[in-house]
Amino acid sequence: MFPQFKPAGDSALVIIFGDRIDEEINKKVHAVANAIEKASPDWLIEVVPTYTSVYVYYDPLELSYQEALDAIRPFLSAEPKEEKPRIVEIPTVYGGEFGPDIEFVAQHNSLTVDDVIEIHSKPLYRVYMLGFTPGFAYLGGMDERIATPRLEKPRLKVPAGSVGIAGKQTGIYPIESPGGWRLIGRTPLRLFTPEKDPPTLLRPGDYVKFVPISEEEFWEIYKREWGEQK
Amino acid sequence: MIELINVPSLTTIQDLGRYGYQKFGIPVSGVMDEVSARLANYLVGNHDNTPLIEFVLKGPSIRFHTSAVFAVAGDVDVRLNGIPIEPWQSHWAKRGDVLEVGTLKSGVYGYIAFSGGILCDKILGSCATYLRAKLGRALKQGDKLKLGYAILTGKEGKALPEPLIPRYSNENEIRVILGPQLEHFTEKGIETFLSSAYEVTPNSDRMGYRLEGPEIEHSEKGADIITDAIPLGAIQVPANGKPIIMLADRQTTGGYAKIGVVARVDVPKVAQTRAGGKLRFKAITVEEAQELLRKREFLFRNVKRLLDGEVRGYKIKALGEEFMIFVEKREIEKRTTLFPS
Repeated sequence: MFPQFKPAGDSALVIIFGDRIDEEINKKVHAVANAIEKASPDWLIEVVPTYTSVYVYYDPLELSYQEALDAIRPFLSAEPKEEKPRIVEIPTVYGGEFGPDIEFVAQHNSLTVDDVIEIHSKPLYRVYMLGFTPGFAYLGGMDERIATPRLEKPRLKVPAGSVGIAGKQTGIYPIESPGGWRLIGRTPLRLFTPEKDPPTLLRPGDYVKFVPISEEEFWEIYKREWGEQK
Repeated sequence: MIELINVPSLTTIQDLGRYGYQKFGIPVSGVMDEVSARLANYLVGNHDNTPLIEFVLKGPSIRFHTSAVFAVAGDVDVRLNGIPIEPWQSHWAKRGDVLEVGTLKSGVYGYIAFSGGILCDKILGSCATYLRAKLGRALKQGDKLKLGYAILTGKEGKALPEPLIPRYSNENEIRVILGPQLEHFTEKGIETFLSSAYEVTPNSDRMGYRLEGPEIEHSEKGADIITDAIPLGAIQVPANGKPIIMLADRQTTGGYAKIGVVARVDVPKVAQTRAGGKLRFKAITVEEAQELLRKREFLFRNVKRLLDGEVRGYKIKALGEEFMIFVEKREIEKRTTLFPS
């Protein structure tokens, strides 16, 4: 039975709306998270929406766990708004030095490289949540025909903007970091800009569309986004 | 202004953390031991969230280019111009003085607070350094840091009463609130977790402490969950059955089942346990954990007022236990008028 409520330590509680990755459940999650955030009660530290749950970080000096449960109850009836979602286009160079694993992904799935590009750039991917590293979006909706296991040995350095596949998931590395995803391309867009508020390009509830571009276009956009820095 | 003249690696500027951005994937970060850090700030008349220097195991050397009041928190030898001075006390340094902070004799994290605080360019509302995403950077030799204006706040010669000085041990009992994914563990697994000693491994840092010890058995639900959020002190147990305690620089979300979350009052104890040190876990209720936190904050409020000179503190022994009592200064004056000695 959902929703369920649990303490997550002495300074947070979790509201669980389901037990599977599902667009409708996730929409409810964001509706409730937004409603709590919008009301911004004094005791609230912050809200973190995930695939199926809302973490409410609160100040236990202001109210106890039981009081926190009572305080969030009025927000549980919040319903997703029927507005047009934002579609964010992600210009991406596929293959070559930008996506060194694209041949592997093609071979692994008995496809050509062009098939992989077409299949990957076709769907609208839903941003279910952000997390893990600054600006990383958990995307849903990848075609299983291009699913590929992770690298056995993760790379020590993956450049910011790299687009990868890990199992049935696809994602974009927002910052340079180590990583084990199969890299198929790279976007020149900045997904995380700490000087901006909000600091991330993608937000929960957005839809992402990958748009294949040429190397020339990549560097043009890159300069605009990052300046001369590498 | 102060200048860093000798800087061990991983010396950073921290405050109490960057809140409000976890939903964008940005970790809270901030000080690893909020008790030591807040007490250091209180000693120099600052508020809780004032930016200060955090160091790991070994402290930096600092040259003062202006006079300033400072305090060092940690079990460590401290010298000012070569002359030994006490940690857990506020001192005055004048232009040209050199502060040398040695190696911690116990604990892992030490702090240096300056009256008025370190001025930094805030990123998303905080001075907390998060190295993995280059939010701030590690301090290095030659760095010059500006201090805040603090003409009335900081005074030298303030000392934390002895019973309030934190003691760092390498064998700690850590209180936890079980869950939120208890159903991912068997009864036997939970029993193992609560009855065994777990050793802090060298593979531990500001992100989390990996522990070594008896394997914790998962239920048929397994070690993986649908990715959800990770609160401070969350204890994840991946498929190998070895717990990881998630600390200041933890990622905001993760996919391993959490058997429990460390009570906030005990997070500093975890952070200050060295590699090789042992932790034992004890389950308490969320209500008990919140009561412990309220008691600690009541004490902290009074310690702040004591150091600010608003109350007086007395150490008393009763029934074999030591207590601190705090008496309003006004009360003392009133009584003195009524009953002149």
